[in-house]
Amino acid sequence: MQTRRSFLKFGAGAAAVGALAPLTVSANSSDVKWDEEHEIVIVGSGFAGLAAAVEAGKLGAKDIVVFEKLGVYGGNSTLNAGQACFANTDLQKQLGIEDSAELMVQDQLKSGRGYASEELLRHSAELGPYIYQLTKDCGCIYRDHIINTGGTSATRSHQVVERSGAGFIRPMLKTARSYGVKTKIRHKFEHLITAKDGTVLGIQVRKGYHFGHEDSGKLINVKAEKGVLIATGGFGANVSFRQALDPNLGAEVGCTNARGATGDGLIAMLAEGAMPVHLSFIQSGPWASPDEGGFGYGAGFSLYNFPHSVAIDRSTGQRFMNETADRKTRADLEVQRRDKDGKPNPALLIAPKHEAKKDPSMANVLKYNVAWEFDSVEAIAKHFDVPVKPLKKQIEDWNLYVKAGEDPQFGKRMNMSTGIYLTAPFIVQRLWPKVHYCQGGIQINAKAEVIAAKTGEKIPGLYAAGEVSGGVHGVSRLGGCSTPECMAFGVTAARSIMKA
Amino acid sequence: MKKFNTLLVLTLGACLAMSVQAREKRDYHEMVYDSGCKSCHDQGLKAFPSDDSCLQCHDMSELAEQTKREGHDAKQNPHDSMHYGQEAPCMECHGEHTPKKAICMDCHNFDFPKFKYEHK
Repeated sequence: MQTRRSFLKFGAGAAAVGALAPLTVSANSSDVKWDEEHEIVIVGSGFAGLAAAVEAGKLGAKDIVVFEKLGVYGGNSTLNAGQACFANTDLQKQLGIEDSAELMVQDQLKSGRGYASEELLRHSAELGPYIYQLTKDCGCIYRDHIINTGGTSATRSHQVVERSGAGFIRPMLKTARSYGVKTKIRHKFEHLITAKDGTVLGIQVRKGYHFGHEDSGKLINVKAEKGVLIATGGFGANVSFRQALDPNLGAEVGCTNARGATGDGLIAMLAEGAMPVHLSFIQSGPWASPDEGGFGYGAGFSLYNFPHSVAIDRSTGQRFMNETADRKTRADLEVQRRDKDGKPNPALLIAPKHEAKKDPSMANVLKYNVAWEFDSVEAIAKHFDVPVKPLKKQIEDWNLYVKAGEDPQFGKRMNMSTGIYLTAPFIVQRLWPKVHYCQGGIQINAKAEVIAAKTGEKIPGLYAAGEVSGGVHGVSRLGGCSTPECMAFGVTAARSIMKA
Repeated sequence: MKKFNTLLVLTLGACLAMSVQAREKRDYHEMVYDSGCKSCHDQGLKAFPSDDSCLQCHDMSELAEQTKREGHDAKQNPHDSMHYGQEAPCMECHGEHTPKKAICMDCHNFDFPKFKYEHK
């Protein structure tokens, strides 16, 4: 990673030997040779970047550019279950669900275990209904049904009909373009270009970049008239970086992220003195399957079925967790499922087919060998080498909990599975966590301005939104709560930039 | 096709020397090799071709039609997918000189029986 300083040093050296390459950046910002200039420069085409582009377009910005490193748009945002937690929407009211921004903040503070930012969570939650409407105005279509996610005290996860982030990204991309936003793939952000006083003037970009070929393309300098928004996402796919922060997350642990989630934007901002927050809080998804790559289809199946299904330890034949606890609680417990030699022995999610079939995820996991159907408890026990007696007893006990509406084993909220008994035939999927989300990043304030470590003040001209920012969620983020937060701070950044 | 023929004439014999280096290639592109490296390498021989390069001969909407899937699998059309529509550039999934896997396979166990990522 080239910092501004090392780049300057190289520039001076090249000049001394009379190299023909043009000197593109120098200590005196007036000497920078700009290849392009735009009113607003956005790096990253995920939820945060596109929400900012749409909002800035609505606010009348005339020249917005969105740079995407990969060959395809949407980054990590297009690879998920397409859920967004909003509190106090029309749809919730129609369905008789009582909820509020305050309740949503309280749920998230609890999961954040004392490290979350109440101010930033509240800012995001209060913008929820606005974001919900903005996405609908872009053409996103929500299901009529709102779903439950772990750790929430009210049902608030609104899901697009595609059941994928693509259901947000593609309409938002189209809407952004309708405002004249220029969108460019294969443009990799290299570093910020700053004035002597630290004000961000623009960025250097590698144009024509092909992922994995670090020398591909050519470097250009892009000037930002009003501001630069870094919305580059997390670093879950950067194994050495994440393992330095959490030694448990080496290469043998899977990852749900898009291949581009390497933390380039974060690293470039750190190089310019941005304040790092909570970098070691890296979340694994408890709904992932070891039988496919990335996010895949298994996550959707687990998300739908967790409320009315059991997760079973293969050594004991018994449950070991509240299947709808927050993500960290579940992922930590899942990764402890081991055989007698200490090797991973992924738990089994056992779902009743009569309920599982109501969601299209079942057909996907069965077709692509991510889950399998069994006619009896005995058949499950035999196939996965689970002690049959305790497994039978566990399932009988579970059905009594369903009937009683109370889970004395793990205190699961049972009003999500009223009347849904666990009976044959069963659909079984293996569970093993995958690195999913980086709670940490650089510090922002409620205006999406990036904070300098040295001064605690904003870095002029620099904004960040989405997973690249840190400290919002604390130790563990709740499911469905990144999407609305990415969009809320994207919108906020656009508003701040237009006011600046 | 007319556009391609013009290009063919322009680049004919332009890089016969390169063919000595016998790179991995797809047999069905033999005609393109005959007309020179620059037929595809429109940004210089050391750079990746532009994303428009393959589209001199291939048409994305025709490809989307050819790989169309029905019913449940409709959104898994690699040339018109749920995630990327018809916007995924060819080189995200296809390699001419190096074997590649479709980008979908990062996350999904899809079966694309006609997809040739092993050469020949």
